[in-house]
Amino acid sequence: MLLILRLLGMFAVALAVGFGLSSYALTDGRLLGAARSGPWAAWPEVGEIDPDPYTRAYLSRTGILQLGLAEGVRFVASEDSAGAPLDAACRYRIYGQTPAAAFWTLEATDLAGRNIAASPDLSYLHSERIARGPGGVADIAVAADLAPGNWLEIAPEGGPFQLVLTLYDVVLFSGTGAGTLEMPTILGGDCA
Amino acid sequence: MRRTILYLLAGLVLGGIIHIAVILILPQFASRDIWNRVMAMDALEDMVVLAPIAPGEDNPMQLDPALVYGLCRLSLAEAPGLVNGTMPFGFWSVAVYNNQGHVIYSTTNRSGSGRAIDMGIFNQAQTRLLAEQRIEIGDGLMIVEADSDDIFVAMRAAPPHEAMRAGFVEALDAIRCLNIR
Repeated sequence: MLLILRLLGMFAVALAVGFGLSSYALTDGRLLGAARSGPWAAWPEVGEIDPDPYTRAYLSRTGILQLGLAEGVRFVASEDSAGAPLDAACRYRIYGQTPAAAFWTLEATDLAGRNIAASPDLSYLHSERIARGPGGVADIAVAADLAPGNWLEIAPEGGPFQLVLTLYDVVLFSGTGAGTLEMPTILGGDCA
Repeated sequence: MRRTILYLLAGLVLGGIIHIAVILILPQFASRDIWNRVMAMDALEDMVVLAPIAPGEDNPMQLDPALVYGLCRLSLAEAPGLVNGTMPFGFWSVAVYNNQGHVIYSTTNRSGSGRAIDMGIFNQAQTRLLAEQRIEIGDGLMIVEADSDDIFVAMRAAPPHEAMRAGFVEALDAIRCLNIR
């Protein structure tokens, strides 16, 4: 009887570790595969012809139309810079420099990737259409409530969400060292 | 107690093996990967412009709502592929994917070709014939070698303003994507 219980325990641990670890690793490459800068994560090999096994598995699992190496890099953040999960009921401020790129776009999506902007007329922000602070820094409010300056208005329903910052025509992971991975901070504010 | 811990440790090792197996096997059994999504479209030798992404709508390919996308599938088994036309003003990029959904080539408008795109896509046998000058091509054709006969091309263009989106859709729709026969 004890042997059966031990075997059951062993298989339970094996299945939980095997599948749990795989799901965790492929969510945003937290274990292997992703490049991170603060709360932002990107898969650097996603646009290569022969990506590593984790990146291959990620592509197969998600079915996304990934950017090629020469086209750009897509960063996703599901937490603020303090490590708290993003919640659409709260106000956030995105502040700082971005890596040099032809341009970038910022959108807020739910965890399934659906855009959660409040209006179809402003479902994303474009780097060339925002006001810049001193030194060219980006200063953006993400909130359901009215905010001064650059404001990405999200739907007021609340719940977990993620921010997607896509940089186009950027040199980050080519190995030339021409680009630096300096990403803006995400500062959490009041919650409704 | 010690034996129970040994069984749990064995479970951890077995879990690690399952994890490695899942990561390696997953691509072989994926049915919702990008290749299968493109296969489901009517995009063989035809540039299909994707519908814009609106808030609240499913976005399985994780497309950027700021961009206009065109997708086209080609089979190189019988003949090389050709993608040519005039792209709109502003940023655009093109990427060629193999049948595993991996990018085999990508470039942007900043590579120096201006608004014109003229790209020939050849499989390995056709590339050999090209090197032996047994296939004639036009001057200035951008040559891409594909590692599989089945490929697809994704074109991205960024309208400088939303009011220009309709013009960008027209421009992408007019891009020729076909086999050279």
